[in-house]
Amino acid sequence: MSLATEAFMSQIAAAEPWPENATLYQPLREDQILLSDCASSLAVQAFLRMCGLPVQVVCRANAEYMSPSGKIPFIHVGNQVVSELGPIVQFTKAKGHSLSAGLDDVQRAEMKAYMELVNNMLLTAELYVQWCDDATATEISRPRYSSPYSWPLNNILAFQKQWEVRRKMNAIGWGGKTLEKVYEDVSQCFQALSQRLGTQTYFFAKQPTELDALVFGHLFTILTTRLTNNELAERIKSYSNLLSFCRRIEQTYFEGKHS
Amino acid sequence: MAAPEELFCWEGDWGLPSISTECLVVLAYAKFAGAPLSLRKISNPWRSPSGLLPALRTNQKTVLSRPSEIIIHLRKQKYNADFDLSAKEGADSLAFISLMEEKLAPALIYTFWGESANYVEVTRRWHAEHMPFPLRFFLPSWIQSQQLEKLRLLRGDDVLDVSGELEKELYHDAFECMNLLSQRLGSHKFFFGDSPSSLDAYVFGHLAPILKSKLPNGKLQQHLRNLDNLSNFCSNILLLYFPRDPNREGGTSTVTPQPEGGDLDHVPNKRMKQFLSVIVAMGAMLSYALVTGMVSLEHFHTKVQEEPQDSQPITAQHHYQEEEGEG
Repeated sequence: MSLATEAFMSQIAAAEPWPENATLYQPLREDQILLSDCASSLAVQAFLRMCGLPVQVVCRANAEYMSPSGKIPFIHVGNQVVSELGPIVQFTKAKGHSLSAGLDDVQRAEMKAYMELVNNMLLTAELYVQWCDDATATEISRPRYSSPYSWPLNNILAFQKQWEVRRKMNAIGWGGKTLEKVYEDVSQCFQALSQRLGTQTYFFAKQPTELDALVFGHLFTILTTRLTNNELAERIKSYSNLLSFCRRIEQTYFEGKHS
Repeated sequence: MAAPEELFCWEGDWGLPSISTECLVVLAYAKFAGAPLSLRKISNPWRSPSGLLPALRTNQKTVLSRPSEIIIHLRKQKYNADFDLSAKEGADSLAFISLMEEKLAPALIYTFWGESANYVEVTRRWHAEHMPFPLRFFLPSWIQSQQLEKLRLLRGDDVLDVSGELEKELYHDAFECMNLLSQRLGSHKFFFGDSPSSLDAYVFGHLAPILKSKLPNGKLQQHLRNLDNLSNFCSNILLLYFPRDPNREGGTSTVTPQPEGGDLDHVPNKRMKQFLSVIVAMGAMLSYALVTGMVSLEHFHTKVQEEPQDSQPITAQHHYQEEEGEG
């Protein structure tokens, strides 16, 4: 999302309250969505539920192409379309719904830093496992990603996506990493999150913030998604506070939906 | 104890021990941890064992190039600057390093390699001046295309156009990141306690080039100068850990007296080298033309043979041409 639209939106947004018919678009839940997209989508849903804003989830096979930034998920509120968690947080803040308003400057800095930690390590690792691990890419990612399309478009789109992700991995220096090294990095990230959470209910004391939504989205998705091996999920399970954190948010905000 | 390991880095300038962020991170960490490395400052990435800078050639003869790998390697050698950190502080370090990689690093790439005035007047010029003769003509633009490709992949979209939209976004993110770092640092001397850690090395590596470079378009620098604690933090580390670097005087003295001018105006023996390169290029072209020209000449003659106008002299001509071809 560009800054100009952001500024424009925040002016408009402030005037209008949150409508009842807000929609969140994501790829098909059963046949198409991949781990990383599912995690991002769940993070946004958790964030909106924490804010108490109703949103209806709609699955579309072409959600990736409908999104203004090409990324999933995106929400359609009134006459505006916003994609990804960061801009959505800005957008709801303009409408007067913020989870991090009670934090002081240092806490806010730390919250943003931890959110980038999740994006930088966990999201990248999910993309790596999906597209750079040959077993997962062949058995799960490529067939699922291309499931709505017929031959030969399905192969072309899946390989195009894989090619793009691999180039990105090379650019950020992950190209030479082995799967084992990626798992180690992920463990390091889990450990950092676990240390930060400690025995608290949420990352910053009693109230959930967007960081909690983001971490929940990723951890819960990793725990509940079956891949060719469940190494990622196993590595979370050694941190009991992260597990109970996921269970707590699920019970508080998703009661009766996922259970 | 074995001989110290060799670290290859970009040369320094502008009062910095090295001009590249990655090299600065590694250098600062090595200083903080007291790791004895034999330093090789070079300005030709092709002379590095991995083709990239920085590069650490370890005693096991492996070559490491990513700053995080080098730091982990040094840590395993018991050169650990993060020894005093609690587990939570370690987690915070990791988080702030991610923040810089996501928000500040893309803006750094853009400001040095994407912004055209900065690239032409400072980045390309510096690299061209410091690289050896034939490389300086193409290596800077090759590095630029690599960096811009990296930026495009990092941002995950195709908006490397000139609309200024990308620039605004990148600078917005970078300003926010600097503000957050400044808030986190507060009035402390270092990020955690009284001694510097790996996070300090990363912050220094990212901010020092912004603070010290003399770019025509210095929006990042202006913003950083307004954050007093962060700019003091960088100057402090420079003063404490890199005092009177030999390259510092050498670098500034060769650069400051030179007037503003074209990109390659002050290369020594410029005319001579241009003349030589023209000779070499001409020689290459001529020899190529000669080789391929003879071959095509041959073909031409055989073609002529195949369509004989008059049948009589064909055998004689044929023999004659074969001899010519062999000779």
